[in-house]
Amino acid sequence: MFFALTDEQRALGDTVRDFLADRFDLTAVRAVFEDAAGDGHPTELWKAVGEQGWLAVCVPEEYDGLGLGILDAHVVARALGAGVVPGPWLSTVLAGEAVRLAGSEAQRAELLPRIAAGDLAATVALRGAGRGWGADGVTVSAAPVAGEPAGEAGSAVGALTGAASPVEYLAVAGLVVVAATEPGTAAGAAETGAGSAAGSAGIGLYLVDPQAAGVTVEPLTSYDGTTRLAALKLEGAHARRLPGSSAAVLEDLVRRGAVLTSADLAGIAREALTRTVRYDQERIQFGRPVGSFQALKHHLADLHVAVTMAEHAAMYAAYAIDAELDDLLLAVAVAKAKASQAARDATAAMIQYHGGIGYTWEHETHFFYKRARRLYGAFGDPPSHLERVAALTIDTVAAPDSAAAAV
Amino acid sequence: MDLTFSAAEEAFRADLRGWLADNLPSAWREPGFWATVPDAEAFELRREWERRKFDAGFAGIDWPTEFGGRGGTPGMKAIYDEEMAHARAPSTVNSLGLAFLAPTIMAIGSEEQKREIIRPLLRCDVIWCQGFSEPDAGSDLAALRASGVADGEDIVVNGQKVWTTNAIHADRIFALVRTEPGSQRHRGISMLLIDMHQDGVEARPLRQMSGATEFGEVFFTNARVPATECLGGLGNGWATAMLLLSFERGASGILQYTSFRRAYDEIVRAARVLGRDQEPVLRQELAQRLVELECLRYHAMHVLTRVEQGADLGSESSMTKLQWSETYQDLFETFDNLLGSDIAIGSPVAGLDLTALQAEGFWSRSVTIWGGSSQVQRNIVAERVLGLPR
Repeated sequence: MFFALTDEQRALGDTVRDFLADRFDLTAVRAVFEDAAGDGHPTELWKAVGEQGWLAVCVPEEYDGLGLGILDAHVVARALGAGVVPGPWLSTVLAGEAVRLAGSEAQRAELLPRIAAGDLAATVALRGAGRGWGADGVTVSAAPVAGEPAGEAGSAVGALTGAASPVEYLAVAGLVVVAATEPGTAAGAAETGAGSAAGSAGIGLYLVDPQAAGVTVEPLTSYDGTTRLAALKLEGAHARRLPGSSAAVLEDLVRRGAVLTSADLAGIAREALTRTVRYDQERIQFGRPVGSFQALKHHLADLHVAVTMAEHAAMYAAYAIDAELDDLLLAVAVAKAKASQAARDATAAMIQYHGGIGYTWEHETHFFYKRARRLYGAFGDPPSHLERVAALTIDTVAAPDSAAAAV
Repeated sequence: MDLTFSAAEEAFRADLRGWLADNLPSAWREPGFWATVPDAEAFELRREWERRKFDAGFAGIDWPTEFGGRGGTPGMKAIYDEEMAHARAPSTVNSLGLAFLAPTIMAIGSEEQKREIIRPLLRCDVIWCQGFSEPDAGSDLAALRASGVADGEDIVVNGQKVWTTNAIHADRIFALVRTEPGSQRHRGISMLLIDMHQDGVEARPLRQMSGATEFGEVFFTNARVPATECLGGLGNGWATAMLLLSFERGASGILQYTSFRRAYDEIVRAARVLGRDQEPVLRQELAQRLVELECLRYHAMHVLTRVEQGADLGSESSMTKLQWSETYQDLFETFDNLLGSDIAIGSPVAGLDLTALQAEGFWSRSVTIWGGSSQVQRNIVAERVLGLPR
């Protein structure tokens, strides 16, 4: 039994944290946060992220990556969450995962080395505004393009129409992976062996160039200044299909997003709690540190338990994806629900237990609170994940025969 | 990460499962079975069961063989906890002796104490109870007043202990007694190993709100104990008690997870019979309980890893206790929400006998009190883990 990070994984997390402390602290975060008109994508930071290999974690070695897994990526995500770091790291990693999981050999060779090096910022557009996460939430449709060969080993081309929102870092992305329904291609999903459970329409993942004809990027305002959001509008935009894509791959991608988001949330929650404890050790009221009052102590102790559980859950779910554990679906839902709640509670307590100063724009509490609040909903909010948990643990429990007969 | 057990550990699991299949009476596996057996008879059945486990080599799983243990790994102990809960085998009747007294004697007992106490304890030939709490010394243990006065070779003990698990069944009690008259707080206390079968010791059952009588109170009236029957040295009882309580910290929570997860499934079955399993609000609440239970399982794997690494869990164990006890209590609040207007009916509801779950629900009110109340655990986490000022 070894439920822990390896020395190498710990070192990876330490490297990210040390780097951020030296080169991208909260002063730098604030500059991005307050520059609402800016692209939210500091080039010095991005250059370093590429050089440090944080974008290469999940890229196979044959494409100049580190060939590690989601568990390793989760270590990076947790540290980036703790630093409330802006930039398209998560969106680029997920786009890379889409290419790795469903791309042709040529597409991988073309894109993955650029992603690993930080030469290509990318993002994913997987759902329509107000919709759920998964095949049912896709509001872009793909139509065949006349004259283009379909279904060959290489990539087919589709014409995409519809919208997706919100999409992170769309304005700076050189590549968008877009999920689209493919009417009448349910058989296509079956061909990949992925066993789509998504119903009649198949799902394809497409590589969209944001500069292409028929693509419109509409910036959205975001309360969380540690990201930039936009809506993607597509009107017959031509895009290459990832040939291995299917509804199952989309759901796999959403799970990876959910787990890395859980890790980010766990990082936010831990840092919020640590900063609050530090403040309340020093802040004197009534002649004593406010952290000596049991009303605060007991709540902070409960939060420590909750945050620790969120850390365990994110770590377990990341490993469950890498090791394809039997309870992978449950693990992801547990992690996203728990981490979302723990981060909301910890960041709300951060505001409360800083008192009036914690409610000011000048203090950093709102970076943590607002990032946690955004990620609360990303890749499924807690109610949706709890319903998933219910489906997996209530609907699967056998009915009691004798008692049922008695009703 | 590697969440597998070793080949030797899995072989142990297979052995244990096979033995349980052959030896655990099938009637015992029925929910509610133990409610049908009178207390005294149940105690003897369980005591005999412990002896059979000992004789078959399934006792003291991670204890050294020199003490009658199996000499197994922490992983085997976790597997044992899990399999016992899976099989619905009864829990031990010597829990405080096994969890607390025996490891303390292994650590600081005299050779004679090691020889004479541990093996009979493990085989349940001698049942032990713990005499710590008093009417005026609960969470504030150092306020204890039971007194011991030297008289020749003996110490004469007077006073009262309370909330004593197994008081009426126990043969001996390890008790904290103030052996230096007039001493204050943590000083002047000794841990005495007192024979309960004497005129000066009276154990009375204490009926709990659940209706059961697992607890009791113990009255000492000029009870005698040889001065040699002291653990850790006269006057050194506080340090001995702190060492003793630290042995709870190897407990990972896997036993609680396994048993609570089964309770969850039973509550879900009840929800189905009552036709409420598709109600969205109840589903959300049940799922929230399951989230906390799964977190407990991950946490148990973390704790087991730390134990295998030889780490001292220290105050971190307060977190384990908080997670399992609060989750367990919440689970039965959800059960109450499921029952709704039928909550107070002890007779079958919709043909469903819920007495076992109802009894667990009442029991759940105790788990946030004994073994260090949730409030004490939160103080420990806040002060010793987070470093908040006293």
